[in-house]
Amino acid sequence: MASEAERKKVALRRLGDATFSKVDKVSAELFSLTYGAVVTQLLKDYEDVAAANVQLEKMGYNMGVRMVDELLAKASLAQCASFSETAEVVAKVGFKMFLGVNVEVAAATSSEFRLLLSENPLAEFVELPEECSKLEYSGLLCGVLRGALEMVQMRVECSLLRDTLWGDEVTEIRVLLKERLVEEFVDDDE
Amino acid sequence: MLKLRRPPCFSQLCAAQRVVSQSAFAFLFSEMIQYSQTRVNTADELIAKLEDAGVGVGRRALELACWRERSSKRETRALWKSLFGAHADSLQKVQDSDDEFMIVEKEPLVNAFISSAPVNCAAFVAGGRTPSPPESGRLGRRLAAAQFPAEVSAHDNEEGATVLLIKFAPEVLEREKRQA
Amino acid sequence: MLHSFHIFNRKGDLLFYKEWARAPRSAKAMADDHKLMFGFLFSLKQLVNKMAPRGSGGGLHACSTSTYKLHYFETASGLRFVLCTGLAAGDLRETLRRLYADIYVETLTKNPLHRLDEPITCKSFEQAVDAFFASLQQGQG
Repeated sequence: MASEAERKKVALRRLGDATFSKVDKVSAELFSLTYGAVVTQLLKDYEDVAAANVQLEKMGYNMGVRMVDELLAKASLAQCASFSETAEVVAKVGFKMFLGVNVEVAAATSSEFRLLLSENPLAEFVELPEECSKLEYSGLLCGVLRGALEMVQMRVECSLLRDTLWGDEVTEIRVLLKERLVEEFVDDDE
Repeated sequence: MLKLRRPPCFSQLCAAQRVVSQSAFAFLFSEMIQYSQTRVNTADELIAKLEDAGVGVGRRALELACWRERSSKRETRALWKSLFGAHADSLQKVQDSDDEFMIVEKEPLVNAFISSAPVNCAAFVAGGRTPSPPESGRLGRRLAAAQFPAEVSAHDNEEGATVLLIKFAPEVLEREKRQA
Repeated sequence: MLHSFHIFNRKGDLLFYKEWARAPRSAKAMADDHKLMFGFLFSLKQLVNKMAPRGSGGGLHACSTSTYKLHYFETASGLRFVLCTGLAAGDLRETLRRLYADIYVETLTKNPLHRLDEPITCKSFEQAVDAFFASLQQGQG
């Protein structure tokens, strides 16, 4: 007998699939190559892998604060009841509708969850050279998550734990809830 | 600091071309432009930066396409199609001219999301041959790398579509004549 | 019959405004009106939450006066779409949602020239909104 949580997961997966099927598509190759150009440019501009990592995450953040509106609009989502439901929405609907990939949620608690990507369109045909071995190539995704979740009143910290480009089996991102933001209205006339 | 590419295995290359949402590309491209804007001072510099980015993309796209097609023969159509799919509406020959071809794009993918932009962001798309107005870039570089040196420039036609004009270098025509 | 249309962000900044049937007033008066609108909606939202019957939440959808109706659509990302119309209008929340999904998202979020928290100056957005409301007016009569 499927539990309520299981039923919700299935419903979200269907929603993600349906939403992805309706959107316009482009070749994953174009996407991956464009991202490669971005990373190459950052490495040229910053020359230091650690600085480039910070900038990649920031770029992801800038994207995330915008992408969230498309997710909310196209998928007609209701408010999430819990942080683990947020995790499922991000994985089954968000990642699916933008990247067309299936992402699993692991270790979900009320303040943390992990996302496991076995496919990563950002990194198709990419290999990191020796001097860039510490590059968080998929760090953009961490930024996207941080930006998107902040727009829906959650301050989170995201870190790239594993990456197939580092030789790992999957790409794994940890999302840690730091604070739920409360809406305030300050009348600056008073 | 270049990023190498893992030589793809045969099955990966042959696998049906994967897709992502157009939105994902649009958001990435938009952010790329915004980032570039913070590093340059003029519109011309922005164009140059975008073209540079396009060069890298074009070069790698060509490598991938060549592996796929398993030949180094005329790649233009295959490349264009593989990257831009249905968006490249036509490849035509210009009348009265042996060395000029046109590709007409009714809605250049990369311009679709940028309205009233001072810079034609399709500059990214071609491949960086100066002096050219917005839109040189990837195509020029790709053609050059495929042994088809050409000048690529972009123009708007009456219907508001973007026309990429490809003028092949004389040696290309010579070679084609010899091979015919 | 459309009267006015506001888009606010979470912080109370007015991103977009359009009016059809308001008396002309000074720029300062208009700015005050916008602040008043946002403040009123903010308080009303809080009231709606507090007065909700046990077990259900829900948010503000619409409110009416004797002469006009205010339709309210808020996104989880904090955008507030506010449309004031004549009393004959039905439930326009779905209309506002469509404006958000088909116009706001498509012309602004992917546009590198538009900064999210700043007033909207994008021409294609304005044109799309004009066309959207024009067809809405026609439909409603």
